[in-house]
Amino acid sequence: MARLIRTEKEVEGRYTEQWIVVDEDVLEQWPAGPLETVGRPVPRADGGQRARGEARYTADIKLPGMLHAAILRSPHAKARVRRIDTGRARRAPGVRAVLGPETGPLTDEPPYEGAPVAAVAAETSEQARTAVSLIEVEWERLEPLLDPEEAVRRNELIDEPNREERGEVERGLAESDAVVEAEYRTQTVLHNSMETHQAICEWDGDDRLTVYISTQFIWGVREEVAKRFGLPEDHVRVVCRFMGGGFGSKNGPGDYTYVAAELARATGRPVKCALTRREENLDSGNRNSTIQRLRVGARSDGTLTFLDGEFVNATGWDGWLASTGGPMRLLYACENVRTVEYGAKLNTPPMAAFRAPGFVEGTFGLECLLDELAAKLEIDPLELRRRNHSTHDAVDERPFSSKQLLECYRRAEPHWERRDEVRARSDATWKRGVGLASQVWYGGGGPPSYAWVRIGGDGRAAVITGMQDIGTGSATAMAQIAAEELGLPVDRIEVALGDSARGPYATISAGSSTIPSMGPAVRAAAADAARQLIEIAAQRYDREERVLSLKNGQIVSSDGGSWPLEEITGLLESGQILGKGSRGPNPTGMRVLTFGVQVAEVAVDVETGEVVVEKIVAIHDVGRVINPLGASSQVEGGIIQGLGHTLSEERLLDPSTGGNLTQTLDAYKIPTIADVPEIVTDLVDVPDEHLTNLGSKGLGEPPIIPTAAAIANAIRDATGADVRSLPITREEMLRALREASRQPAREEVGA
Amino acid sequence: MDILRPDSLEAARAALKNGSVALAGGTELVPLLRDRIVEADTIVEIRHAVPRGIQGTRIGAGTTLGELEVDPQIPDALREACRLAASPQLRAMGTIGGNLLQATRCWYWRLKYPCWLHGGGRCFAHEGLHREHAVFANAPCASAHPSDVAAALLALGATVRTDRRELPIAELYRLPTGDDRRMTGLEPGELILELEVPMPAASTYLKAMDRKRFAFALVGVAAARSPEGTRLALAGMAPIPWLLEDESALDEATPLPGNAYKLEIARALIRRALVAVAP
Ligand SMILES: Cc1cc2nc3c(=O)[nH]c(=O)nc-3n(C[C@H](O)[C@H](O)[C@H](O)COP(=O)(O)OP(=O)(O)OC[C@H]3O[C@@H](n4cnc5c(N)ncnc54)[C@H](O)[C@@H]3O)c2cc1C
Ligand code: SF4
Repeated sequence: MARLIRTEKEVEGRYTEQWIVVDEDVLEQWPAGPLETVGRPVPRADGGQRARGEARYTADIKLPGMLHAAILRSPHAKARVRRIDTGRARRAPGVRAVLGPETGPLTDEPPYEGAPVAAVAAETSEQARTAVSLIEVEWERLEPLLDPEEAVRRNELIDEPNREERGEVERGLAESDAVVEAEYRTQTVLHNSMETHQAICEWDGDDRLTVYISTQFIWGVREEVAKRFGLPEDHVRVVCRFMGGGFGSKNGPGDYTYVAAELARATGRPVKCALTRREENLDSGNRNSTIQRLRVGARSDGTLTFLDGEFVNATGWDGWLASTGGPMRLLYACENVRTVEYGAKLNTPPMAAFRAPGFVEGTFGLECLLDELAAKLEIDPLELRRRNHSTHDAVDERPFSSKQLLECYRRAEPHWERRDEVRARSDATWKRGVGLASQVWYGGGGPPSYAWVRIGGDGRAAVITGMQDIGTGSATAMAQIAAEELGLPVDRIEVALGDSARGPYATISAGSSTIPSMGPAVRAAAADAARQLIEIAAQRYDREERVLSLKNGQIVSSDGGSWPLEEITGLLESGQILGKGSRGPNPTGMRVLTFGVQVAEVAVDVETGEVVVEKIVAIHDVGRVINPLGASSQVEGGIIQGLGHTLSEERLLDPSTGGNLTQTLDAYKIPTIADVPEIVTDLVDVPDEHLTNLGSKGLGEPPIIPTAAAIANAIRDATGADVRSLPITREEMLRALREASRQPAREEVGA
Repeated sequence: MDILRPDSLEAARAALKNGSVALAGGTELVPLLRDRIVEADTIVEIRHAVPRGIQGTRIGAGTTLGELEVDPQIPDALREACRLAASPQLRAMGTIGGNLLQATRCWYWRLKYPCWLHGGGRCFAHEGLHREHAVFANAPCASAHPSDVAAALLALGATVRTDRRELPIAELYRLPTGDDRRMTGLEPGELILELEVPMPAASTYLKAMDRKRFAFALVGVAAARSPEGTRLALAGMAPIPWLLEDESALDEATPLPGNAYKLEIARALIRRALVAVAP
C-alpha cells in the first residue's frame, strides 16, 4: 500500500523535512557477502565505449542548425557597467543574437571576477568569442572585499553564523589534563571536471524546451528551468546520457543554461553554451578556503573532555555555509562540543558543493588536532581514536543505523604497525613516516527515487529510470542489482537512463546518494517483475509458486525441473513483463552515516621540501558493496583528488585585484599519474540492516575526506614538523621544518 | 591569418618578414596567438627550413624534445632536461629551437595584465603573488625563465648557429631594459638552425617542481664538468637562464617576500648536482 509519510532528507549534510509517498520496503535483506552478481567485480558496462571515444557527452552533441554562445565576463572583482556598446559585436560575422546585462542572469553590477555580463550566439564558437571581444564596456571599478576575516568583522555573511553546542566547553576545559590549540587553513580548490559546464537548449515552439546538459541531476535542472521560464515541468525535457565529471559543481542548471535558453529563444535555433577551461576555473564553483581555530582537551587517559572550533569559510559571493564543523560534532564521543561556522560573503566566485563539502576541510583540521593531542599525551594515535569511539550520534542522541568503524580500525592495524619499519628506511635527506585519519560522512540517500524494469520476449531485461550516471559506474551497479533479483547474467540487462522524458524521477547524484537511493528502487522493480514471472511460470508449468525461483537465466523448480526464461517470456511474443519499484523510507529515529580510516606512508626530502606519498590504505564502511571493482575505482579517484588538495592544487587570487591567476591547467596543478601512490582499498562489506532492502550506502565522497589529514599526520611522524596549512607545497613544507627545528623538542613543551 | 609552408630555408627567410612569425611545433606559439599575446598576419611553418636530428655534437633546432630525451649520445644534462620538461605529448611536438624561445609563464603576463613586460608601468608580481618568480635580476620584471633545456645548454656551454651568425647561448638572452623589453637578442626573422653542444666529462640536470612531472621548474639546476672546470646554470630563478659562479653566489640573490624558499631548494640541488658530476 502506498504510504504518506513525513521524512528527513539529507543531501551533502543538509537536512530537510518533506512529505513523500512510499511503498513499503517489503523485501528482505539479501545475505551479506558476495552473491551471484552483486558483490562481485563487474567491469563497467560502458567502459569500452568511453575508452574508444564513442560515448556521446554533451560536449559531443551537435544539433542541426546549432549556434554557439560565448559570454562576456567581468574582468574585475567588483565593478559597475557605466556604458556598454554591443553594436560592433552585433555586426560581427556569424553573429545571430546578442544579450546585454538587462537580461537575467546577466548583470551590469558584477560582484566577482568572471560574473556574466553579456552574451553572444554565433554560427561558430570562434565567431562568438570574437564578437564578445568586440563588446565595448566602460567599467567603474569598485573596491572588492576579499579578506574573509575582514568580512566576518564587518558582518558581511552569506547566512547567519551556525552555532552549535552540546554540554559545556568550560566544564570540559576544567577537567582536562592536556589541551591543544591550533589554527588550520585550507585553500580554495577547483573541481576541474574534464567536461566543462555546458548545455544545449532547443525550443519546440515557445512552450517546450529540451535541455542537453552535463549535470548531476536532470530532475533538478528540469524543475528549475521550468520555473524560470514559467513552463509545466513536463514541457521541459532534460537529457544527460554521459557525463564528464561534476564532483558537486553540476547539481543545478547554472547561468550558462539560462544564457543558452535565452539565446535559443531569441534566434529560434538550438544554442550550445560551453564554458572554456578558463571560464570553468573562474565561475563554475569551488571548494571554499577555510580558517579553523580549534581546541581540544583530554584527560591523561585520552578521554576527550571538550572540542571547540571556530570556522571561517570564505564562501564567496554566493553559495551556502558548508558544514566545516560537522566532523567535530559527529566523529567522536565527546560530551562538550562547541562549533561556530561563519560564511564570509566576498567579491569572489561562489562556492559550490565539492565532494564532501565542509567535511574534507573540517577533517583536515580535526584529525591533525587529534594527532597533535596524541603526541602530547604520548598515546598511540590509533588508540586515542579507539578510546573516543562513539557508539551513538551525540548530536541528536540517536543510534546509528550501522557503524563498522572499529572494524575499520582493526583492519588498519597491520598497516599502522609498519610504522617502525617505514621510519627505519629514512636517511639524512629522506624522512619517512606513517599517519592515519578517520572519516565520518553522510551517504544514506533517501526517497523519492523510482525505477521500472521491463522484460521482453527474448528473456532480456531493461532497467529504466531517470537517474544519471555521472561517471561513477552507477549504471553498472544497477544492472548487477537487477540481474541478482531476476537471476539473469548481468550482460542480459540494459540500463536506460539520463532522460527525464524516458523514465521516472530519480535521485540527484550528489551526496553519495545514487546507489543508496536508486539501488533499492531498482531491486524493488526487478523483484516486482520476478514475482510476475514466477506467477506465470507456476501456471504454465503447473507448479506451486513457492517451489520456483529464478537462476542463471532459468526458471528453476525445487523438484529438479528447469526451463529457460525465454521459453516463458517468448510465449508472450511482443508482450512484456513490467515491474516498478521505489525507494522506501529511511529508518526513523536513526542516524545514517559512513565511516572509514586511511593510513598514509610518506617520504619527505627535508632539504628541498618535496613530499612523496608512497602508499595509502583506504578502509571504509559503506554497507553492502555492489561492485568491488567500481568501488575501488571510486576510492582511487577520491584519493587522487584528495592528493591534489593536499599537495599541489590551489586557486590563487591576486591579493589586490581579486583576479584568478590559476585559470589554466599549467598554473593550477592537479596530480599527474606519476604522483599517484600505491592505493590499497579495503571495504568492510557489511550491509546496513536498517537502511534499505539493499543495505548499501554511498561511496562517492568518503574516500576524499581523510586523505589530507592522513598525509599531514604522516609528515609529522616523518619529520616532527606540523603542517597546518594546505596545500603542503615545498615552501609550506620547508617553513614547517624550519619552525620545527626552532622549537624545543616536543617532550619539553609540556602540558 | 595565413599559413605558409616554405620548403627551403631560402623560401622561409623570404616569407619571414614584418607581420609574420615562425612556427615549429606550435606548442608555445599557438596558445599565444589564441590569447592574442602574439599578433601575426602570417604564420610561417619552418619544418622544412630548419634541420632536425642529431649529428655528433650538432643538434638541429627542429629536433623534438621527445627525440632528445631518448638519445644516448647527448650529454646527460640535456637529456634529463628534455625528459623532465612538459608532457610526453608536448615533447612529441615541441622542438628544442622553440623551447629556447618560449616566453615567461608569469601568470600576470599570460593573463594579459598590463604589466611592465607588456609595456606597462609596473610589475604586478612584485606586490602580488610571485612564488614561482625570479630571485635574481628580478626588477623591474620578476618573471622566471621557464626553459629547462636552456639552463642545461648554458651549463654545457653550447653555441647557437642561426641563419646569420654563431653566438654562445648566453648571448641569445638579454635582461630586458626600459626601452627594449625583449629577452632574446635575435633579430626579426632570424632563425635558429643548429646547436653545437660540446661533450662534457660529466653533466646533470636536477629539477624541483610542484608535482612529480609536467610542471615548470620552481628551481632547475644544471651542472657540467669539463677540463676548464664545472659550470652551473639555473632555470626558474631569473628572467633569463642564469649562470652561477658557485653555490655562494646564491647569497647575492634578491628574493621577494614569497619566493625565498627557492634559494633553499637551489642550495640543496646545487650540492647534489656537484656531487653527481664530481670526478
Ligand atoms: C603546458 C606546457 C608545459 C611545458 N613545460 C615545460 C617544461 O617543464 N620545461 C620546459 O623547458 N619547457 C616546457 N614547455 C615548453 C615547451 O617545451 C615548448 O613549448 C616547446 O619546446 C616549444 O617548441 P615548439 O617547437 O612547439 O615551438 P613553437 O611554439 O613553434 O615556437 C615557439 C617560439 O619559438 C619561435 N621559434 C621556434 N623555432 C624557431 C627557430 N628554429 N628559430 C627561430 N624561432 C623559432 C617561434 O616563432 C615562437 O616564437 C611547456 C609547454 C607547455 C605548453
Ligand atoms: S614579473 Fe614581469 S611579466 Fe610578470 S607581472 Fe612582473 S613585469 Fe609582468
